[in-house]
Amino acid sequence: MERWMFITGLIGVYLLVTLAIGLLAGRKASHSVAGYVAADRSFGLLVMYFITGATVFSSFAFLGGPGWAYSRGAAAFYILSYGVLGMAPFYWMGPRIAALGRRHGFVTQAQLLVGRFPSKGLSALVAVLSLVAFIPYVTIQIRGAGIVIEAVTDGHVPLWLGALVAYGIVIIYVLASGAMAVGWTNTFQGIFMVVIAWTLGLYLPHRLYGGIGPMFEQIAAARPELLTTPGLAASGDPWSWGAYSTYILVSAVGLMMWPHLFMKAFTAKTDDTLRRTVILFPTFQLFLIPVFLIGFSGVLFPTAPADSDFILPFMILETDLPWLVVGLFCAGALSASMSTGDALLHAAASVVVEDGIGPFKTLSESTQRLLMQVLVVLVGGLAYWAALGAGSSLVQLLATAYGIVSQLAPPIVASMYWRRATTAGVVAGLLSGWATAAFFWQNPALKPFEMHEGVLGLLVHVPVLIAVSLATRAQAPDHTERFCGSVEDAA
Amino acid sequence: MSLRTARTLTAIYLLLMLVAVCWPGAVPASRIEPTVFGLPFSFFWPALWVAFAVPVLFGLDRVERRSRPGGDRAEGGSR
Repeated sequence: MERWMFITGLIGVYLLVTLAIGLLAGRKASHSVAGYVAADRSFGLLVMYFITGATVFSSFAFLGGPGWAYSRGAAAFYILSYGVLGMAPFYWMGPRIAALGRRHGFVTQAQLLVGRFPSKGLSALVAVLSLVAFIPYVTIQIRGAGIVIEAVTDGHVPLWLGALVAYGIVIIYVLASGAMAVGWTNTFQGIFMVVIAWTLGLYLPHRLYGGIGPMFEQIAAARPELLTTPGLAASGDPWSWGAYSTYILVSAVGLMMWPHLFMKAFTAKTDDTLRRTVILFPTFQLFLIPVFLIGFSGVLFPTAPADSDFILPFMILETDLPWLVVGLFCAGALSASMSTGDALLHAAASVVVEDGIGPFKTLSESTQRLLMQVLVVLVGGLAYWAALGAGSSLVQLLATAYGIVSQLAPPIVASMYWRRATTAGVVAGLLSGWATAAFFWQNPALKPFEMHEGVLGLLVHVPVLIAVSLATRAQAPDHTERFCGSVEDAA
Repeated sequence: MSLRTARTLTAIYLLLMLVAVCWPGAVPASRIEPTVFGLPFSFFWPALWVAFAVPVLFGLDRVERRSRPGGDRAEGGSR
């Protein structure tokens, strides 16, 4: 038997185990919408920890991270810098969101917003833009899965087939089991990813350069520009501090505003589980260190992959590792892709049904569940189609989507902490923020200090939200009290 | 430590971290030497801030839990 057959067999076993876990998990959940979307609010600490970690670390980190370290050097350190800053405020916000969810029955972000700022238009607006931000994110994951499989099987399993099989499995267990499957498969996949990343990140520098120190000494001698922040731009010219800093800022603001992460607040069993997930999150963040080491190990390698995003599979194959290691790596990279892809598909479907359709038409529970399942297939299919064509850097695709998602932060914060905020203020702020971000995204040459368009959007958004809110009539005090007052009694 | 102090200190740490990993705080750290654990200083710097956030957040959690009536299981709703 040839090497690639062993590897393919190992991946097959891995995929079957994932499928089995996904299907078994679903037998524990109720058949209600709360069961499908929020897993009956039942997740304990271990599951929550790995769901959050595995969901945050996707193909973006596992393939895109090394890709940036390899091609743009220190620019990649922005990815290491924002996670803790984005997650920490959730220590206080998370339990408040969870309490409001239990009190009012919210299962999505837009429901919380519309609960405070009644407007069907607002709900639809959030649903549509979340979906727009989600599609490139799912595309990244599917493409990541396909290319990894194609690379390690020596092209015997082409991209279209690898992506189809991996995502076929994801779709099956998301359809069958909803949030429960996402939770339990991510626990399995999260553990897998951490082990694989640390093993390879330490092994490759040792094998190729004799250690981490010697590796960086050699890079410092040959390519010193890679080792000082802010690193390089995609063109190979030095990147600007304005861009580097605002990438951190927009990612920190946007991180927990991703509907699939935000909705974790509605799935936690207790507030304490949520808080501890936040506390433990930096430990997951440190997993980027070996991931970057893998990318740096490729810098002085005599040959190069066609696309920097594939430096990781490339290094594994070029260094002639045993088939078992290659197979395990492939499973780890697939974990990264699938553990985010499943959460994204699940959240996209929930958001469209609950927020895009729910406010306009009353649907029975079973119709809602069915509609969500149809949407999982539709969104998956659309992203699959895009993945076969697309060719932008994985990190760049996601960074752009952050421009949209970060605009959800001001209204969410206002809904829980600012009594004077009004519906008109929030809608005006969102529209102006999105319009500004879209304008600078289309006209990058006009950006001051090369700042990220999402940050420029926020600079317009926040003043507009405040000014319009103050200019319009305040909401009734008993209404704002239910959102901004003490929520401890809601339990 | 009072709840108020713990929250203020955590917030200060996060703000300092924000300044330290962005412009202008990251500018003096943007250098290869000295290397730490073999990592160039520009890499070690953000990693250090992330690693130090672990004890900071743990400390905050200890104080927060002590201050909640009935300890850590008092709130949280259905289970």
